[in-house]
Amino acid sequence: MNASTLTLLLEGAGVSLALALTSIAPATILGAALTALGFSRFAALRVLYRLYVYVVRGTPLLVLALLIFYALPALDLRTGPYIAGALVLTLYVGALFAEVFRGGVLAIPRPQWESAKSLGLPPAAMLKKVIAPLVVRYTLPPYINVCVMTVKASSVLSIISVWELTLAAREIIERTLAVFTVLGVAAAIYFIMCFGLDRLGRRLERRLMARGFAGEPV
Amino acid sequence: MIEVRGLKKAFAATPVLRGVDLRVDDGEVLALIGRSGCGKTTLLRCINFLEDYDEGEIRLDDHPLWYRTDPDGRRRRVPDQEARRMRQQMGVVFQQYNLFPHMTALENVCLGPRFSQKVPAADALTLGRKLLARVGLADKVDAYPVHLSGGQQQRVAIARALAMRPKVLLLDEITSALDPELVGEVEDVIRSLLPERIMMVLVTHALGFAREIAHRIGYVAGGVIAEIGRPEQILEQPQDATLKDFLRRIR
Repeated sequence: MNASTLTLLLEGAGVSLALALTSIAPATILGAALTALGFSRFAALRVLYRLYVYVVRGTPLLVLALLIFYALPALDLRTGPYIAGALVLTLYVGALFAEVFRGGVLAIPRPQWESAKSLGLPPAAMLKKVIAPLVVRYTLPPYINVCVMTVKASSVLSIISVWELTLAAREIIERTLAVFTVLGVAAAIYFIMCFGLDRLGRRLERRLMARGFAGEPV
Repeated sequence: MIEVRGLKKAFAATPVLRGVDLRVDDGEVLALIGRSGCGKTTLLRCINFLEDYDEGEIRLDDHPLWYRTDPDGRRRRVPDQEARRMRQQMGVVFQQYNLFPHMTALENVCLGPRFSQKVPAADALTLGRKLLARVGLADKVDAYPVHLSGGQQQRVAIARALAMRPKVLLLDEITSALDPELVGEVEDVIRSLLPERIMMVLVTHALGFAREIAHRIGYVAGGVIAEIGRPEQILEQPQDATLKDFLRRIR
């Protein structure tokens, strides 16, 4: 493997990472909004939540990617493959985040709700000061888990011609036939990205736990 | 003044409160005693509407709480916003302290004033510091609950309840979860509140403490207040047969 091949792979990795990050951010907002629907007092909104989560989670990412890739032009929305890819990941990961956050809300002990209630906290303050901080602490490990998965899942988007690490690797393989070297290096790069994300998660965890949270970091 | 009239509450098909009538006057300290499962905690929780009830009326200073009766006789819950205002007039202290683990002692105490009563941040902090000093925790303002003993956590919880300047303190077995040597410091804080003549309703198993601080003791049995009166009366000349039996067992 020569330097230009490696550069190409690293460029692809940059796109993969950018894809993951530009999807994780909006997916977090989508997930939080979905969770709010899931706990709505209106049954219709709760059904909407379940419908979204079950349908999206029950569809293979590959199928969802193809569906959106072909659906966008049919809807007269002309976007590049990158935007389509980020959209696919956002919609998919949003459903996973929603379930992660829902688990966090369910994990809040009843006495905490009662304390907040007995203080007469208005809903906005209750969410911002009590629910959200607790959910963040409870869900950080599974949240990071989904983030790591997102980095790897971005490889699926090569099928809809998003030029990222996996597509770059396949192009190089077609030219050089160095299947195992190139795939090996690509896998190593994926590993390093995921490992970095993991470490970041751990640091965040430790920072949050140190601020008085009952659980000790493991 | 708190008035409870004909309060009924059932969990599924099991009636817990079968028509409780109760009146607590301003400045009065009322202790509720009774066997575990008799409904005394449920009664306390109903007063703060942490527990819904099926029938009856609860009034605070002559204003009906939690439910309104429409002109057509239908019972309707008050809107959430009104319920929050009602809750702000009461301070609750729980058996398990229930401090927010992600907030310092000071943040715990300031949360209600700051966000429920919209007190300016600086004033809330001053109030919080003052109250924590009052419960003997001036040096723990920045400590997180996990770093405090049970007794200290419960004192923070009392300060948190007081921070709302409540008309009544509802104390639910506040020393039951504590190690015996920590009970005293929490009881001392409650004692120190007595000169302020703040209305208190406490559910307790500590008969000695109840006798010392309460103006009246109510014995809850069979889903009603079976007997109520001055502490000496209740503890020394009980009339109710089950109360006599209860006192014999507990001593």
